[in-house]
Amino acid sequence: MPGALDLPPRARLLFAASWVVLQAALVLTARTRPDGIFGFRMFPEASTLEIHLSREVGGRWVPAPGGEWSARDAAGQLRHFSFRDRVRDPVLSSLDVRVFAAYGADAQLARLGRALDDVADHVPEDGETTRLRAEVTVWRNGRDPATTVLASRPRRSP
Amino acid sequence: MRDVLRGWRDEVGDTYALGLVRVALGLLLFASALREARELQDGYFGDVFHWPLVPEALVPSRAVYAALVVTQVLLAVLVVAGHRARAALLASALLGAHVLACDRLQFHNNRWALDCYAALLAFAPCDRSFQLGPPPVTRVGPLWAARLAQVQLSMIYVASGGSKLLDPDWRGGQVLLERFRLYGGQALDAGVPQWLVERMSQADVTSVLAKLAIATELLLAVGLWSRRARVFALWWGVWFHLVIQATSRVEWFTWLTLAVYVLFVTPDVRARRLSFDASRARGRWAARAVRTLDWLARFEVRPWTPDGLRRGHAVVVVRRDGTAATGLRALAMVARCTPLLFPLWAPLALLASFTRGQDARVTA
Repeated sequence: MPGALDLPPRARLLFAASWVVLQAALVLTARTRPDGIFGFRMFPEASTLEIHLSREVGGRWVPAPGGEWSARDAAGQLRHFSFRDRVRDPVLSSLDVRVFAAYGADAQLARLGRALDDVADHVPEDGETTRLRAEVTVWRNGRDPATTVLASRPRRSP
Repeated sequence: MRDVLRGWRDEVGDTYALGLVRVALGLLLFASALREARELQDGYFGDVFHWPLVPEALVPSRAVYAALVVTQVLLAVLVVAGHRARAALLASALLGAHVLACDRLQFHNNRWALDCYAALLAFAPCDRSFQLGPPPVTRVGPLWAARLAQVQLSMIYVASGGSKLLDPDWRGGQVLLERFRLYGGQALDAGVPQWLVERMSQADVTSVLAKLAIATELLLAVGLWSRRARVFALWWGVWFHLVIQATSRVEWFTWLTLAVYVLFVTPDVRARRLSFDASRARGRWAARAVRTLDWLARFEVRPWTPDGLRRGHAVVVVRRDGTAATGLRALAMVARCTPLLFPLWAPLALLASFTRGQDARVTA
């Protein structure tokens, strides 16, 4: 294997040029990705956020404090659900408390949007909830709070 | 330009230091694999919410992922031992990158950087020192891939410093101000004096610190390549990263970057000489200390037969250019060349510059 890793002179230039172009492209396009991955943007923000979860039941939004709720399944049996059963990320799973938004608020909002879809897709026993919603208060770099609302896609068979 | 490229492509040198970098990267890969194993015990990321870059079909099952983690541990051991180390480095990098691609929630800049450096070092002859088994026929080898890893470090500095420069909140100090406000309490708990925390949490101070951080990153990207500025750039960079390590959670990024700094040392060994008076305890102690700390093999350490120049000194350091240093100047020289003492180099060199007439040219 080391033989294959000992590149001949011409291949060295090609490899190096390709590597630099690839890395430069990843860095320069980092802003187009909400979490800026592969961009080496260290400590991009000092934002904090607070997530409040609610769910749509019969056209009304019902709070789900701490990401916990109970709902009946198709057979009428009452069941308990938790947002944290699916979402283990330390930022996203910290509901109703203000937490540091690692990698910036936009990164966490993008992750949260997908987390809502994921949870909505993985509670088949919940026969009541049609959508999940997160109301997120964001303090961007310590500035006045702004609120953003994210919703999951509608569930197919609530 | 063509000559520069050709010179870079064909450069050869002693690869002793590359072996040290390989061991450091191997240890970091080992730590990374152990972290994955610990996280797996708490639950497999593929069983809960994750955000893959690759199609879901390419995200391994729990059993396959467990096997992959074990493989990463074994590969890291091979890297550290120097046995099939280059292939192990490349395999580690590819597996690490694949794991990141399976769940971007797990993405951290230091993990991606580790994969990048491991991939690049695989193309360098980093298995000719610090390895188990018989010594290699020669340690001299091509350095182009090591230089590319150095370019990677500069690109990281430019990316990091550049993104901060373009962000008004960063360059104005707002981001640092808020970080100090958020984590000032933790600093107090850690024993940082209250007056210092309060002072650092003021807008005028964070504005200056922000500009200093940005300038540091951008200047390091260039300064590390300057023959004249390199030592100071390395010293400044070491402290820059140590301060970040002490004040932020960056996983292994500090140690990774400091390991890559080793690639910037001149590729030769024992180009300096440390002579000591074996009849004096101080001389013997200094020789033993330098032999222990001289991880980059900068010094040829040997006892002397006292002569006119050396009489009265326990230790004399002879530099590359043949000039000799004693006393504080010798100590500064040792600090300059030994990784553990390197953070002390600049203040020692500054103090030494005020001492008189302790340098002389050795003609022997």
